Amino acid sequence: MDGAGGDAMAPVVEFHDVTVAYAGRPVLWHVDLVIRGPALYGIVGPNGAGKSTLLKAALGLVPLAGGRVTFDGGALADSRARVGYVPQRETVDWGFPVNVMDVVLMGTYGRLGWFRRPGRRERDVAGECLRRVGLADLAGRQIGRLSGGQQQRVFLARALAQEAVIYLLDEPMAGVDAGSQELIFGVLDSLRAAGRLVIVVHHDLRSAAGWFDGVALVDMRVVAAGPTAAVLTAENLRRTYAGQPAVLEELARAVAAGGRTP
Amino acid sequence: MSPSVTGIESFHLWNIATAMAVAAPCALVGTLLVARRLSLLGDAIAHAVLPGIVIAVLAGGRPGGWLTMIGAVAAAIVTASIATAVASNSVGVGEDAATGVGFTTMFALGVILVSVAASRVDLDTACVLYGELELSAFDTVPVAGLEIPRGFITGCLLFAGVGLALCLSWKEQVLAAFDPAAARALGLPVAGLSVALLVGTALTTVAGFDAVGGVLVVTMLVAPAAAAELLVSRLHHVAAVAVAIGMAAGAIGYLAAWRLDTGAAGMIAVVLGAVYAVAALVAPEHGILARALGAVALRWRVAREDFLAAAWRAAEGGTATVPRGWAAWPVARWLAAEGAVGWTPTGWRLTPTGRARAETIVRSHRLWEAWLGRNVDLPLDHLHPPAEWVEHHIGSAVRAILAAEVGDSVADPHGRSIPPESPPPAGRAR
Amino acid sequence: MIAALVPYNTLVVAAAVAAVGLAAGMVGALAVLRRRALAGDAAAHGSLAGVATAFLATGRRDLGWLLVGGLVTSLATLAALVAIRRWTRTRDDAAMALVLGVSFGAGVALVTGITARGLPDSAGLEQFLLGHTAGVTAGDAALLAVCALGAAGLVTLGLKELTLVAFDEAFAAAAGWPVGLVDLGLVGLIAVMVVVGLPAAGAVLVTALLVIPPVAARQWTDRVGTMVLLAGLFGTLSALVGVVGSALVPRLPTGPVVVLAAAALAAVSAVAAPGRGWWSRRAAARRALVAWREGDLLASLARGDRPPAGADGALRRALADGLVARGAGGFTLTAAGTARAADLARRREAWARILATAPDDARAFLTVDLPDPAAVIDGARLAEIRSAAERCR
Repeated sequence: MDGAGGDAMAPVVEFHDVTVAYAGRPVLWHVDLVIRGPALYGIVGPNGAGKSTLLKAALGLVPLAGGRVTFDGGALADSRARVGYVPQRETVDWGFPVNVMDVVLMGTYGRLGWFRRPGRRERDVAGECLRRVGLADLAGRQIGRLSGGQQQRVFLARALAQEAVIYLLDEPMAGVDAGSQELIFGVLDSLRAAGRLVIVVHHDLRSAAGWFDGVALVDMRVVAAGPTAAVLTAENLRRTYAGQPAVLEELARAVAAGGRTP
Repeated sequence: MSPSVTGIESFHLWNIATAMAVAAPCALVGTLLVARRLSLLGDAIAHAVLPGIVIAVLAGGRPGGWLTMIGAVAAAIVTASIATAVASNSVGVGEDAATGVGFTTMFALGVILVSVAASRVDLDTACVLYGELELSAFDTVPVAGLEIPRGFITGCLLFAGVGLALCLSWKEQVLAAFDPAAARALGLPVAGLSVALLVGTALTTVAGFDAVGGVLVVTMLVAPAAAAELLVSRLHHVAAVAVAIGMAAGAIGYLAAWRLDTGAAGMIAVVLGAVYAVAALVAPEHGILARALGAVALRWRVAREDFLAAAWRAAEGGTATVPRGWAAWPVARWLAAEGAVGWTPTGWRLTPTGRARAETIVRSHRLWEAWLGRNVDLPLDHLHPPAEWVEHHIGSAVRAILAAEVGDSVADPHGRSIPPESPPPAGRAR
Repeated sequence: MIAALVPYNTLVVAAAVAAVGLAAGMVGALAVLRRRALAGDAAAHGSLAGVATAFLATGRRDLGWLLVGGLVTSLATLAALVAIRRWTRTRDDAAMALVLGVSFGAGVALVTGITARGLPDSAGLEQFLLGHTAGVTAGDAALLAVCALGAAGLVTLGLKELTLVAFDEAFAAAAGWPVGLVDLGLVGLIAVMVVVGLPAAGAVLVTALLVIPPVAARQWTDRVGTMVLLAGLFGTLSALVGVVGSALVPRLPTGPVVVLAAAALAAVSAVAAPGRGWWSRRAAARRALVAWREGDLLASLARGDRPPAGADGALRRALADGLVARGAGGFTLTAAGTARAADLARRREAWARILATAPDDARAFLTVDLPDPAAVIDGARLAEIRSAAERCR
């Protein structure tokens, strides 16, 4: 799996002793985590465990109380063009007056820099990305008039248009229908095959077991991290979801159902 | 004043030109404010620039001049900081309340300054509240031998400046407005863009303040963009339409006020409100009328299709009867005019055309029932109601899929036969 | 004695305006909690058109009718707001700005039109823009006071229901409370208070009477009842300051003085209120940050690392406290520093165990300054967590 794409260096994201606190209370507490690509990597954990904060901390969207995050061994500022981010769908105003194509073109803005308009090449790239997520025929539609799954696919297309090496996706499967979920996972998987590192904050253990090659179980700190089969064990899940018996039973079933896949 | 060829004294024309010149940059800035859901920040700034303006005037500035612009920008930044500080530092106080505290306080401060210093400055509470568009033609500067009103020049310069700034940073502004988190992840200075917008708002507000007063500026900022958003759906189109609406409303409002002998400021706001109301009513696709007409058209189609289907089922035998009575009469008359039914001594009868149309509907209905029966675990008596609605929305493509999925079964779950697919309605001409 | 110095009329008006301030603060407290602060603003701007229309219809300046007119257009403005939300794509903020701007524009057009025609008494209309209590007669004052006290009484009666709906609409609805009706009642009270407040604060600023005293009161208490009372008190105080201030300075409208008085109260509250005021929260945040940085520094020195970047302040403090000494090869821990670092490591370990067995407790009590678990978690609960941790092992 080495050497796919033009990059000699395999992408790495490293969290070193990261602590993030809101009003004195830690949301992430002494997190150490190294994620090496190419991989499709899941960040999994209960509600309020700090999964999304982990991504935001990596991107400098929340201040760190301590520690540091590096991309390929360097600071974020040096590799912004190599990093693509897909925020949670709810953070965006879907009544905003832009159409699908406009949103996907936003992915090319980072490369374009200030003042330059997207041109022919950018439109071609955006069109191709839309085709990959199966929305080529909706390019001219106002974004509010899409289903939840389609909106998430537009976001994915925008990330593809960034032509990044490291992708950070925050709950891309929230409120998404089964068909879209299958398609999104398929696209992410092809990114992995092309040598990219794809990090996904995810809540559904059932599909996590099936798609990710690596998983970090997060609950304020990293409970366990590594290859999916080694991490999604009953013991680790119990430690992550301690004190939530109903969830536990659900998990036990999920693990029994899907835990054998790679 | 010299009378002009149009019969309106020339100073009125200059006033109208000023109103339009001021409305244009307001609409441009307002487009971004509305898109970023910051309309109320626009309102707050419009109120809050007052103390800045008054202090600048006390310091020797001229209303609408560069010194007052600096004062206004400073006041706007102070207010935005107050509101942010109150919102982030006060647990349990919403942003709305925080904004309410910020701008009323600043406006109150401004009014007190005006009242206390009224004897020393060229400002009074009336011009704070209503502006003085009517007098703008008399405050002129010579430009190339022509006496041009200051307000007009300020408006034009602002329009050019704001327009240029927006053209240069359009895609950054759109991204920061639509998805600030992604914009920050890309390394865009989102906070800087917000401050730029704040400064732009404060500057245009000063021009608007002179023309229509501190309270009504918000209408010139927000109403054109709000109306434009109803009419078109991409941001650069919104901006263009908003500028056109703003300028038109400035002119029409001024003329209406002149005819009705009242203040131009209030009338411009009223005209903007009327434009918005019309846009809300007649906007294509999302307008209130378009949606109401769509709903009526759908109901009418459903009524006709139900009639046809009922007549077909009555002919098939069983319990269904051809609808009769006064409610069914207009439906039947309409269908008769379409050649789908004909009147016989025993009642309404389907023509061959009508039978083909009816069969399509009944086929949709029974295919859906059959599909539900196979794929969804529902009791028999739960199949009819959804099919009764869905039958009006299934096209031939979906029917083909359904037919393939239910296989070659020719009967629905109730045991009634599913009519075959009729040829496309070219036969209607018969 | 006061009566000898101040005209009787002024005293009556002051009493009435004080009652208006009280009721506005009380109604406003619930409006702010229910996030209806801006609805009051829209209602206020909309009232002007009604006042002007009532003046045109009756031909004289009879406060009762003017206020009825104001109430009608206030409610119409709010109805327009609801209609825009329901039937158009316009977002809430734009709808609000639009409605209040246009309705106020209609009012201004009417008022300037009336003034331009020089109808008798019409000069008094402009006082409704910024408030001017000097023109209020004793009879008008009685009317204002009765309306205000009525509104205050209604808030007191319905406090439980209003609080419930403001706090958790869905629960209230599920429990069978008529949420829509309660909301309508609140909006009605807001509209009434806006109109009653017009003579004191004017259409442009009356919203401040509803919003600022509750915001100030919120800083001092976490109980709704106390907050309503405090807001009423703050409202009364600011209203009185406004009346006196505008009586002392010629041509000074009442509204701005009321607003500034309330804002001053709010500013003092926001800065100085114990617990949640800016000052005490800043101090607490600083304490936590200092402790965090010190822990970070001691831990890295204990590992034998160099001091972490940005730890200069912590280093200076640790040197002064005798926790760290400057050695030949850099900085080293003193005996006291080693003991403190070991203590911190122990606490961090203890919290890690708690986090593993009882994450909810950790989330509730862990702060970055690493308190001793025994100091923040109840003793019995801590024992329970420890024994659970033992069982796991």
